[in-house]
This record gives sequence, C-alpha cells and structure tokens, in this order.
Amino acid sequence: MPVIETERLTKSYGSARGIEDVTISVEAAEVFGFLGPNGAGKTTAIRTLLDLLHPSSGSARIFGLDSHRDSVAIRARLGNLPGDFGYGKQATGREGLRLLARLRGIEGLGRAEALAERFRADLDRPLGQLSRGNRQKVGLILATFHSPELLILDEPTSGLDPLMQEEFLALVAEERARGCTVLLSSHELDEVERVCDRVGIVREGKLIAVERIDELLGKARRTVTLELADSDDLSDLQSLPGVSDLQAADGKVSFKVGGDLDPVVKAIARRHILDMELTHPTLEEIFLTYYREGKG
Amino acid sequence: MNSQLAALVGTHLSDRRRSLLAWGVPLGLWSAFIVLIFPSVEGALSKAIANYPPALKEAFGIGELTSVEQYLHAEMLSLIVPLALGYLAVRAVASGLSGTAESGRLDVLLSAPVSRSRLAAASFAATAVELAIVLILTVLFTGLGSLVSGADLSFSATLAGYANVWPLALVFAGLGIIATGFSLRTSVVTGAVAGVLVSMYVIDLVGRLDPDLSGIRYVSVFRYYGNAIEDGIEPLAFFGVTVAAIVLAAFGAWLFEHRDLSG
Repeated sequence: MPVIETERLTKSYGSARGIEDVTISVEAAEVFGFLGPNGAGKTTAIRTLLDLLHPSSGSARIFGLDSHRDSVAIRARLGNLPGDFGYGKQATGREGLRLLARLRGIEGLGRAEALAERFRADLDRPLGQLSRGNRQKVGLILATFHSPELLILDEPTSGLDPLMQEEFLALVAEERARGCTVLLSSHELDEVERVCDRVGIVREGKLIAVERIDELLGKARRTVTLELADSDDLSDLQSLPGVSDLQAADGKVSFKVGGDLDPVVKAIARRHILDMELTHPTLEEIFLTYYREGKG
Repeated sequence: MNSQLAALVGTHLSDRRRSLLAWGVPLGLWSAFIVLIFPSVEGALSKAIANYPPALKEAFGIGELTSVEQYLHAEMLSLIVPLALGYLAVRAVASGLSGTAESGRLDVLLSAPVSRSRLAAASFAATAVELAIVLILTVLFTGLGSLVSGADLSFSATLAGYANVWPLALVFAGLGIIATGFSLRTSVVTGAVAGVLVSMYVIDLVGRLDPDLSGIRYVSVFRYYGNAIEDGIEPLAFFGVTVAAIVLAAFGAWLFEHRDLSG
C-alpha cells in the first residue's frame, strides 16, 4: 500500500493558481521530491496533503487514511517542516519541543539532543535571535525528533549553509534506511538529484511528469563545453545520438547532450582536450525537455 | 486528550505572562486609587451628582454615590473594566489563534495530532483563565486600597462586581474565535471584535437613554450585565452569558476547523 496516494488532487483559489489534478503515489521508504520553481504549487500540494488547505476536488490518502477525515490520526505518524519555518520570536526551540512532545504523548524529547548536537543547533536561545539558517535547523529537529514514519519537508535546506545541507542530506538517507518515507519540495535540481528516488515536476500548478531521478537526468539535456587542441572537424561529435546545438569558435566547442552520455565521452576521449565542463540543465531547461516531449 | 488541552493552555498562559501583569496591575492600581480617594471626595460627589441630568445618570448607571461600592461601579465597573476586559479577551484569543498563524507556530502545532477545534478550545480556555487572573489581581489591589483608606468596601460585593465582568468579556473571546474563522490577521480580528464591543456598549447606552429604543438593548450583551457590586450577581444572566460565550466559541471553532490555513 502506498504511504501517500493522491487522485486528481485540485486546490483552486478563485483567480489565483493552486494545484490541478495532481496524482502521485509514494511508496514506503521512498524519498519523493516535488521539484519546481517558486510559486509552482509545491507548497499548496503539501498543505493540501496536511489538511491545512481543503481540496477543491480529488482525494488524498496517507497511510491509507483520508487526509481530511483522519487528519489527526495521520499527523500522529508524521513529521513536518513547513516552508518558511517559524515558531514565534520569544520561544526557544526547547519550549517548542516540549510542547510538541506533550501533544504527541511522548516522554522526554526523543533524539532531539542528538540532532541538536549534529546540526549544531541552539535549542535554548529565543528563535527571534537566531539567523534563518539556525531557525531552520530547529525546525528540522522539531520535524524529526520523534522518529516519524513519514517526513514532509517543504524547502528543507532553505537557509542552511553548505555543510549543514550535506548533513541534512545524510539525515534523509538515514531516515530512508530506517524505513521512513520522505516527501520534500525543492527548487534545486542538485538537491533532489542527490537525495530523491523519484521526482514530480510541478509547473504552474500541474504535475507535468513523475520520473525516477536517473531517468529524469537521462532525458534532460546536459551542456558539454570543451576546449580542444584541434576543433576543425567536429562531424564525429555532431553525428552522435542525442547531440544537438553544437557550436564552435576559437577552439571552444559546446553542445547539448540528451540521453546516454557514454558515446559522447568515448568520442571526446579520442581528441586532445585542454579543458572540459559538463553542466546539468536548469529547471527551465528540464521543463522545456518535458514540453518538447509533449508531456506538458 | 486532556493533557493536550492542559499543555496548550499552559503554553498560552506562559506566552502571555507579561500581559497578565500589564493588565492586572494597572487596572488594580486604578481601582485601588478610586477606593483610596473616595473618603475625601464623598461629600463633594454627592452634591455634584445631584445636579446631573437624570438621563445622564440613567445612561451611565450613576445613582446615589453615597457608598464606596456605588462609586467603584460608576468609576470602574460601568465602563472602563468591561471595555478593557472585553478588549483583553479579544487580544488574548487572537494571539492564541491568528497570532500563532502569523508567527508560523500554527503550522508546527498542526504537525502534531491535535485538531484545530482543540486549539480553539485551548485558546478560549486560556483566555478565560487569563481574564480570571486579571480580575483577581484587580480585586486584590482594590481590597488593599480599601484597607489603606479605611473605606469600608465590602470584599464580597467587590468580588461579585468584578466577577460579573468575566462572562461579559468571554463573549468577546467567543466572537474573536468566530472572527478567526474569517481572518488570520490579528489586527483584523482585534479591530473587528473591538468594533463590536464598542457598538454593543453604545447600543445599550442608546437603549437606556431612549425608552422608545429600549428594545435594541437585547442585541447587546451589556443588557445582561447589570450592577453586581450593588445588586449581587444575577445567576441566570451570569450563566446565560457564559453559555452564550461558549456557544460562540464552539461556532468559531467549527469555522476555524473548516477554513483554509494558507501559508
């Protein structure tokens, strides 16, 4: 049974955009990412799942329970980090933990202290005195201290420094290893690429594709930039499958590659390379890939 | 489930501990001051009141000011304390619901297995406790003023007079929860219900001033307020208004349960 299952989930706000016909199924111990630019509808989808917003149509089930009718029972089993986490300026993280522990009927603070040490989070300073990144760490601890079965994280690395982002990604991997299902949203392709099993691409309120992360990257066109000792004849590169938009000037060559990278690497290897760069596509380029395929 | 309610009420009161003192101490000191000065102004007051127009005396509930209880009612309990406590009730309930939404805390609380109606109930219950604490502080300061001045104020009458404000103020807490069913902005909730509070007072005042319009007083909760420091608490009105406040809060909780909580 899927942990999260939505069927044509729709939330409309009159003239403003919400989400439309979002259908996903997330299995146990899977890390699923909602990927899309800001304002695409990722947060709306998450808030609708959490029963903070009531769907205009469609349905959502979590742990096989109705997301609206059984909302309280569902929330007993999940942890949630809201987007733009806040808990008031005067309160400390420890006060928040104590209240949440009592609301959950938990004795003590679970693994909160260990997580605080790991993320170097200060649980005793008022949140109003903490930087955005440090508040975000407290939010992550509030979401995970009780070892939930499902973690819902809205833009979880927002504000975290690169070191803490690494620590967070490691934590997600550990959570998955212990059987926790994770649903997270992000507008960073690199982030979802490193941590997610599958990704749902959200644009303008619609889920335009759900792909395994390796398939997504395979389909998306990467940009290869080369500096060659000899760039006179590039016909071998041009004729390779998946290569397009080849441009050459002053010894520098750039082109797009979609699909398997192996033939390209082998063809390049036969040449004298002075410099080489491979860049992943931006979100917009990924969207264009899917629109081009007629999936939009 | 009761432990959830206790945890939420405790947190609400802890968050508002400064407010308890900020309201209870000034109101108490003011009330004590009224009692303190009564012996020195008693004679002059009686003469001044005798010259007031009857309609004015009727409108503001000013009768003979021959006792400290009558003076306390005229100066504190007929206008200032009901309006102040009504406003405090809205502020308290708004900080517990719309305030938590604005700070982001509501999203965190609703990550836990607690229903929105329980959050609303906790906010209402905490407000009821907060109002009671402020009123008790005021009564204690007032009693102290009486002891110092030798004004011979009846403690039980004072207690009744201030206790009678409690259900009245709770009505505005109930209206505050209803308002959060429509808006999660503290300023909007507070402003709207404060407007209703003042309107109800004015409606009651107009109804008392003009006998032809006395019927409109029934839409105002001040119609059922009375003068408990002199006449004692009227049980039917006290419990009726308390039940009305609870019904309003329950309706507000239902609205809060069924509304969207946008991020």
